[in-house]
Amino acid sequence: MQGTGVHLDAVKKSFGMVDVIKGVDMQVKRGEFAVFVGPSGCGKSTLLRMIAGLEDTSGGSISIGERDVTHADPADRGVAMVFQSYALYPHLSVFENMAFSLRLAKRPKAEVKDKVQEAAAILQLTDHLDKKPSQLSGGQRQRVAIGRAIVRAPEVFLFDEPLSNLDAELRVQMRLELARLHQKLGATMIYVTHDQVEAMTLADTIFVLQGGHVQQSGAPLDLYDDPSNRFVAGFIGSPSMNFLDAKVVAQTSGGITAELTSQPDARFDIALTERPAVGTPVSLGMRPEHISITEGVGLRVTVDVAEELGGVSYQHGTLEGGEPVIFQQTGARHGMHGTVQTVMPDAARMFVFDEAGDRLR
Amino acid sequence: MSQANRRNRELRAAALLVLPFVFIFAVFFLYPTYKVVALSFTDAPLIGEGNWVGLANYTKLFGDRLFYTSLWNNFYFVLLTVIPTTVIALLIALSVSKLKGRVQALVLTLFFLPYVLPVSVVTMIWAWMLDFQFGVLQPLIAAITGKPVPVFKNPTWVMPMIAVVTVWWTNGFNVLLMIAGLRNIPADLYEAASLDGATPWQRFWRVTWPLLWPVVSLVLTLQLILQLKLFDQVYLLSNGGPFNQSYVVLMQMYREAFQLNNGGYASAIAMVLFLVIVIVSILQFQLLRIRGRK
Ligand SMILES: Nc1ncnc2c1ncn2[C@@H]1O[C@H](COP(=O)(O)OP(=O)(O)OP(=O)(O)O)[C@@H](O)[C@H]1O
Ligand SMILES: [Mg+2]
Repeated sequence: MQGTGVHLDAVKKSFGMVDVIKGVDMQVKRGEFAVFVGPSGCGKSTLLRMIAGLEDTSGGSISIGERDVTHADPADRGVAMVFQSYALYPHLSVFENMAFSLRLAKRPKAEVKDKVQEAAAILQLTDHLDKKPSQLSGGQRQRVAIGRAIVRAPEVFLFDEPLSNLDAELRVQMRLELARLHQKLGATMIYVTHDQVEAMTLADTIFVLQGGHVQQSGAPLDLYDDPSNRFVAGFIGSPSMNFLDAKVVAQTSGGITAELTSQPDARFDIALTERPAVGTPVSLGMRPEHISITEGVGLRVTVDVAEELGGVSYQHGTLEGGEPVIFQQTGARHGMHGTVQTVMPDAARMFVFDEAGDRLR
Repeated sequence: MSQANRRNRELRAAALLVLPFVFIFAVFFLYPTYKVVALSFTDAPLIGEGNWVGLANYTKLFGDRLFYTSLWNNFYFVLLTVIPTTVIALLIALSVSKLKGRVQALVLTLFFLPYVLPVSVVTMIWAWMLDFQFGVLQPLIAAITGKPVPVFKNPTWVMPMIAVVTVWWTNGFNVLLMIAGLRNIPADLYEAASLDGATPWQRFWRVTWPLLWPVVSLVLTLQLILQLKLFDQVYLLSNGGPFNQSYVVLMQMYREAFQLNNGGYASAIAMVLFLVIVIVSILQFQLLRIRGRK
């Protein structure tokens, strides 16, 4: 287990009768930027707080570096956490907030000053060191919270939706700063977010959590290109993947032919190695950007909402059977609102899922 | 035109809402206050008019040995109650806030219960518990001092015992204020502090104490004012004795007004106590604020 940053082994957590985390294994390498994503209430914060030691672990083990810290005190784990609420001490100045842990450890004055100044310089807080947190903007408070973590020089940084209280522009800016900070410090970071873009841009590894389990983990684009089940396919990517119900009508030499339930004249030949029997119901997943307008036969979509973003537009519509479909258009303004469009998905980039939601390859 | 109309209507509504309070305030507070100030410059009896005597009541008061004894006893009592009750309330609040849900509500109710009792019941309970012959607490006192003590008839014991009774009686309210203050401190500050490596002791002194300070200083100020107005417990438990060792300013005012029929002189005593309370509490408030800002 050389080079292990954080290692979770069959970790479980229950609050009373409710099992929130039902057995999570994960391996975050030293220096890696790991991101937890998942729907609200899936236990991302809980898992993070368990790594920090703020929640007891009901089962399994957690190790950081070479040490088993499952039952260690938060302070002895070598982790620092940045809270969504910032959790700055309101009665202390920015300097004292950042110096707090060093003061507790009774470090010499000069060392405290050096370390705080250094962190403040990285985060451009040097001019604000004498202010109280209430005198700072949201972004500055966020930086102080990060500064407080940096000063401790922890093995692992934990972030719980640190940017969610900031406006869109500041989020983008802080996101870049976090990416730079990670390169500069080279420490292991674990980051919880709701934001697709944050997850895709920051992560070395994304862990998709749902139902108390890790559904899939891997590099952002691997998850995007090769989701292992329907949940991950739908969760990663924005706008999310289209899922259309279909039925296997024939087995071909290299795969299957599937026919849509709601529009039986639409048939697709899909390459698969494990070929389900004829008649098996399946779900076909296709990303909005892999669906294009066609002159020939295809899916007839009645467009009811068009989201024009300038460079691209997302056309939201329904099939004749009522199933929702989103497809992406690039370039010129289309004015498709209210029209019926014939579109064709790229069968080579389609995903097939069985009824349980598992990917068929 | 219509704007003026609306203004008029608003004014009328405002007056209607404010008048009952202003009336009651004027009749039962402003007028009596004015009357006390006016009376203190006359030799009036309790009922009826008197003659203007200028500052004579005040000069007499400042030459009155009993007044200095009373004032000293007042301050002694403040010393015995204000800080101890605040510290005790803080300790109780800290332990109660560690409890959860129903148990917490129950324990809080138990601590608050004495506050609901009227003073006469409180003094009755303690008079019996401390009764020289039958009191259940006498064995305890005997165990400490070697013999039973008639506490309300003993010059050294009387003030501290009245202080104990008072603290027992009024503590629940302070606990409640402190609990409210503690609940106002966000839990994630403690989590951040424990990640930063703070021991429970450091968490108290570096997070709880500074953030609770506004409430602590509020409790201190309220207590100071309340305890300077000591009367009921003394009147009911020791009546000022023995040897005037528990005589307090309000006791003296009561005697002058309602037993000796000296309305003017009693008013002067009331005025001086009023000024003392104002000055002391402003001083204390300033002192606490400076400490808090540091
Ligand atoms: N102290 C607690 N007691 C009981 N249940 C809890 C407690 N804390 C969290 N839970 C439950 O655990 C589940 C996971 O909570 P958690 O806060 O980890 O979700 P999350 O994934 O961070 O959600 P979000 O994205 O909304 O922040 C939720 O269903 C929540 O109700
Ligand atoms: Mg959360």
